[in-house]
Amino acid sequence: MKRLAKTALLASGLALAAAFAAPAFAQDAINLPNLSYRTGPFAATGIPLMNGQRDYIAMLNARDGGVNGVTINYEECETGYNTEKGVECYEKTKAGAAVTQPWSTGITLQVLPKSNVDKIAVLAPGYGFSPMADGKTFKWAFNPPSSYWDGASMILQNISQGNLDSLKGKKIALLHLDHPYGKEPIPLLEALAAKHGFTFLPIPVGLKEMQNQSAQWLQIRREKPDFVLMWGWGAMNAGAITEAVKTKYPMNQFIGIWWSSLDGDLKLVGDAGKGYRAVSWSVPNSASKAMQDIKKHVVDAGKSMINQAEGEFDWVFYQRGVLISMMSVEAIKAAQAKFNVKVPNAEQVRWGLENLDINEAKLAELGMEGMIVPFKTSCADHTGHGGAWMLEWDGKQFVKASDLIKPDRAAIEPLEIEKAKEYATANAPWPLNDECK
Amino acid sequence: MLYRTAGQFKTTYEADHALFPVRQDAILLGIILVVAWVVLPLTANEFAFKALLVPVLIYTLAALGLNILTGYAGQLSLGTGAFMGVGAYACYKIITIFPEVNLLVAIAMSGFFSAAVGVAFGVPSLRIKGFYLAIATLAAQFFLVWLFEKWAWLYNYSASGAIQVPTIEMFGVVVAGPNAKAITQYYFVLAVVTVVTMLAINITRGRIGRIWKSVRDMDIAAELVGINLMKAKLSAFFVSSYIVGIAGALFVFLWRGAAEPNLFDIPLSFRVLFIVIIGGLGSILGNYLGAMLIVALPVVLSYLPGALGIPVSSSMVEHLNTMVVGALIIFFLIVEPHGLARFWAVLREKLIIWPFPH
Repeated sequence: MKRLAKTALLASGLALAAAFAAPAFAQDAINLPNLSYRTGPFAATGIPLMNGQRDYIAMLNARDGGVNGVTINYEECETGYNTEKGVECYEKTKAGAAVTQPWSTGITLQVLPKSNVDKIAVLAPGYGFSPMADGKTFKWAFNPPSSYWDGASMILQNISQGNLDSLKGKKIALLHLDHPYGKEPIPLLEALAAKHGFTFLPIPVGLKEMQNQSAQWLQIRREKPDFVLMWGWGAMNAGAITEAVKTKYPMNQFIGIWWSSLDGDLKLVGDAGKGYRAVSWSVPNSASKAMQDIKKHVVDAGKSMINQAEGEFDWVFYQRGVLISMMSVEAIKAAQAKFNVKVPNAEQVRWGLENLDINEAKLAELGMEGMIVPFKTSCADHTGHGGAWMLEWDGKQFVKASDLIKPDRAAIEPLEIEKAKEYATANAPWPLNDECK
Repeated sequence: MLYRTAGQFKTTYEADHALFPVRQDAILLGIILVVAWVVLPLTANEFAFKALLVPVLIYTLAALGLNILTGYAGQLSLGTGAFMGVGAYACYKIITIFPEVNLLVAIAMSGFFSAAVGVAFGVPSLRIKGFYLAIATLAAQFFLVWLFEKWAWLYNYSASGAIQVPTIEMFGVVVAGPNAKAITQYYFVLAVVTVVTMLAINITRGRIGRIWKSVRDMDIAAELVGINLMKAKLSAFFVSSYIVGIAGALFVFLWRGAAEPNLFDIPLSFRVLFIVIIGGLGSILGNYLGAMLIVALPVVLSYLPGALGIPVSSSMVEHLNTMVVGALIIFFLIVEPHGLARFWAVLREKLIIWPFPH
């Protein structure tokens, strides 16, 4: 008992010392921290995304020995989607980080103001705050290749066959998580509803009601909207899709954002979910060269954490994770080439993110043809606005169901600039990046 | 030997009424204060400030507030998280409406808002007790979080529904917002916590504290000896919610930097309640010990596998952490059901005769 107590004391003393001492980092490797969440209520959606990111880096390290001969340290810090853990993880991983990925709109909001001070770029692919597209205001934040407002605009264009005025008199409901993330598209949808004369009906789902949405679907049955859009995450997606099947809401009028396209959620309903669509900037392609290399070097080598029995390898989310890691790696490559260094620092990687040019030729070179929308970032445009495709559930998997859709930038841009300005004044003094026009 | 009080004679009433009548206690407190005010700021890095020291202090303050209500006055409350939220939103509104107000003043003022809300939700305590009162405060919890979500004026109509802390200066030093240095924020929080702790010790050992304790132990007897129950209970709600409100304002302004409504939801209330129960009901020291166990220990533990060179994935560490902390809570409660403060008291008794047990 006494020895046990002594050992415990020694161990906690050691850990305390480790926590207090500044973390040391090897300078011959690039650190890519990721504030992951494999636990908590959103773990179902988090795990495949994190696996994809992890496996792409593992594949590069195994196949090419890293990026241009420099190994990449992919390091996860578990947040459980909890904003409190998020602060802790950000502080823990920021030293020596090439870029940081906050992975929740709540944590992004906390990290965003710090990024100006700590000079670390925040990569939030396809999530976070839509006005982050304005690179002049948000020098250190990136959300390629499409923002939530782009997503909302693209869904409306798809359901109206490109003519938003044809929606006049129709009723469009937004089933959303009652959380900063779910509220994101509301300002744009309200503005578009006023402009094009459709009725907009937001239906919030509280964090506590994610698994039991009978009240929300009762409202949908009563109101009979022509379309239901969904901004759902984690357990909410599965709840909504099973409720939709139960209430027999026509699946072809039910459209989700890219985070509502988890294969596992639709597998629960199988054929009954046929016709459900989700707008997505990525498409899975397991036959592509990059994916086959991951299979060879990581999955078959037994180094992956994916659930092979469930077929996670083919999932939209797993392959989207791969593409997200591709973005950070391409930014690092760009920085290496521009500044002629082996291990670019966070400021140089920021330049790389600002000059990402993911075009068809580049994708062919990477062995990822057709897996992600082509996009190009710039000093003033931190999103790239590459557009998206519609994915449709065919009963077994998601398949591409449309040509490339582009957001109506003319309608979104003024709102982006206005909200970015609002953010900057609310957080004054906020540094603007005067290098770009 | 270490805690021998033999030979310490009190010759005046003042000496007998001192905050720490035992000399060793005063010395120990002195050492702790020196460590907190001098040694830690010199040695800690930014991570230690942000992930260990500041959160422990803020949670201690919140637990102190709840302990006054539950531990001293015997009124069970499950609305702590929401009262912290009232403090945070009040401070946010004060700061955004009157940007020139000193942050310290704003925080002190925001405490009054949560105190008022606390008293309003404390009114049912005049009629109901125990679990029934807990349910009434639970209503406050649900109602207030709902209000934080729906009343857009509270978060200045921002699209995300979250509040963000702007850069705030005090006497030319940035104390809150992204540009604030971790050490400044630590000193700010430490100063507030030190002052409030001093006040709390004095209140709880004085006339008001004795009234609360008598109400807690047997309210009918207290009423028979002439204590006004209404005054006693509502004053406990007032003081408790005031401290909890200050803790909430510090929670967002000096630590988190941003907050969304569901941050103040029931898990936060439970977390503070756990700190109080594990630390020890009716003890000031217990809040500090409890906060260290519940808030700091998981952070420290997550370093353990790395420090020992055991390769475990970060999600596994998280799972292990939950298990270890849960097991520790049960272990401590079995070994000492009255909390860590009592544990220290027992230890102190033993130290009087140590190392000669006979």
